[in-house]
Amino acid sequence: MKKPSKKSEIEFCKVCRLHHDQGSRHKYFPRHKSSLSSLLDRFRSKIADVRFFLKNPSVLRPQEQSQNRVWCVFCDEDIVELGSSFACSKAINHFASSDHLKNIKQFLSKNGPAMDCVDDFRISEADVAKWEKKCQSLGNEDASSFKGSCGQLSGTSNDIHTKLAFETMDRIEKVPAHHINSYNSNDVMPLQYNTNEYQISLSEIPGVTHYGSYLNMDASHLPLCHVAGNGFGKHSIPCSSKDYSGNGNYCTQENYQVSQDKKQIEGSYNPPGVVGMSSISSSHSTDAGGNVHSGAPPPWLVANDGNVSNIQLNQSDMACVQAKVPRKNCNLNPNRVGAAWAERRKIEIEMEKSGHATNSNIDADWLPNFGRVWQSGTRKESRKEFEKEKRKLVKTESVSTESEPVKIQPYISKRARRESGE
Amino acid sequence: MSYLLKTLTKKEEIDRIIRDTIDEVLVLRFGRCSDDVCLQHDEILAKSVRDVSKFAKVALVDVDSEEVQVYVKYFDITLFPSTIFFFNAHHMKLDSGTADHTKWVGAFHIKQDFIDVVEAIYRGAMKGKLIVQCPVPPERIPKYQLLYKDV
Repeated sequence: MKKPSKKSEIEFCKVCRLHHDQGSRHKYFPRHKSSLSSLLDRFRSKIADVRFFLKNPSVLRPQEQSQNRVWCVFCDEDIVELGSSFACSKAINHFASSDHLKNIKQFLSKNGPAMDCVDDFRISEADVAKWEKKCQSLGNEDASSFKGSCGQLSGTSNDIHTKLAFETMDRIEKVPAHHINSYNSNDVMPLQYNTNEYQISLSEIPGVTHYGSYLNMDASHLPLCHVAGNGFGKHSIPCSSKDYSGNGNYCTQENYQVSQDKKQIEGSYNPPGVVGMSSISSSHSTDAGGNVHSGAPPPWLVANDGNVSNIQLNQSDMACVQAKVPRKNCNLNPNRVGAAWAERRKIEIEMEKSGHATNSNIDADWLPNFGRVWQSGTRKESRKEFEKEKRKLVKTESVSTESEPVKIQPYISKRARRESGE
Repeated sequence: MSYLLKTLTKKEEIDRIIRDTIDEVLVLRFGRCSDDVCLQHDEILAKSVRDVSKFAKVALVDVDSEEVQVYVKYFDITLFPSTIFFFNAHHMKLDSGTADHTKWVGAFHIKQDFIDVVEAIYRGAMKGKLIVQCPVPPERIPKYQLLYKDV
């Protein structure tokens, strides 16, 4: 006897990204298994990249920090390499942490498969220790040439920009990690910033192009914006006064934050009615020719003097037309119905267009190729038959109009005539 | 009468349109603008002409005109509306299960039927076939009786 299936609550499966009421059975379904395997494969490739940097530590430049980020599927958090001097250092530390291991185990127990692949997704402490040693040796070599790193530099430049960069990066590092985490609920969060905000902000101020380059920069260049904002004298938005709740978003969407700042700075300069559109400069348009509103003829008719039948194609035009025609032909099936006729007709049309003398007088008796309803034989025969019938019809009509009225007489058979004749 | 479609009244015009339609299906409707079924047919044609414009042209022929009578006889048109299909000045036959394969007699029920028929003809013509199978299901094909010499 089959057990009646238990109806469990509706849950959301992170792997398949759908809701189901199958409860704990869901992880054994083939679709879930396939999506899980693809997810884990993708994560494995990410870990492989991180492991590459584990074996070959390299210095991370400040400009690239924002691009160097990893999303950890098990912990549901984005690991951004802000304020780290070496590539993937934060990622490496994260993957070696005990929290990450706990999350892996939890994930695998909830979503299957077996627990034997735990070590694929974490980095052992021994490896981390080796990596740290390598980093230290690398750091000592590059200490003099390394700029903008908060941990390494010690007063190499008294630049106000780099000083502020250190301050902001220190502040960012102090931000508690949980602000960077995504929300624990499985609900989809509403969009907090327009995805095209970056573009809107860019296009709103087409003249201020130098800002466009700044938007791609990371935290170290943010103070420049701040400084310039002071220069404008409108609103000064010091980085420290930002809400820390916003900072979580800042770390992950810093471009949007920067553009928002820019928006606030430049708010008074919005041209009215222009949202994300660039205007065509009026200098090059319609200076001599006139336009639709002034009633000028369209450009394609100006050359033809407004009369299509008098077009005389130049040599170059003919060449263009002839070049076009073979291009069309090569796409068409040469065995299609009426192909030969179509080719001939196209040539005739071109000749007519070019103004050559053509026998374009269509015969008044021309008839298309037609297979009649009660035909027997080919279509040509049916056409001939029709033409015969037409001629007969014409003859009978003409005969009937010209001849005298016919006298109707009874029929006398040959025998009767013979007998009467005898 | 549909104002969107060209109405032809002279043999020259018909000849010209047949000869000028190259590598496209030409749909000629023979009928009267006063007839109800013709009007319904014209409505369907007018609505679909844009959809098939890339591979077909549609024109209406008024059968009451004198010059057109030669074509009425040549094409053996006895019932209206009759729709005849041409491709590259060659007549295309359509096997719809009726007695007359040379034309479509009657109106189409829906736009899609007309578009399907024109597409079938175009595909057949491109492959070199002079007769194609009608894709319209039999319940939507108008039925009629053909008379042979008034028999």
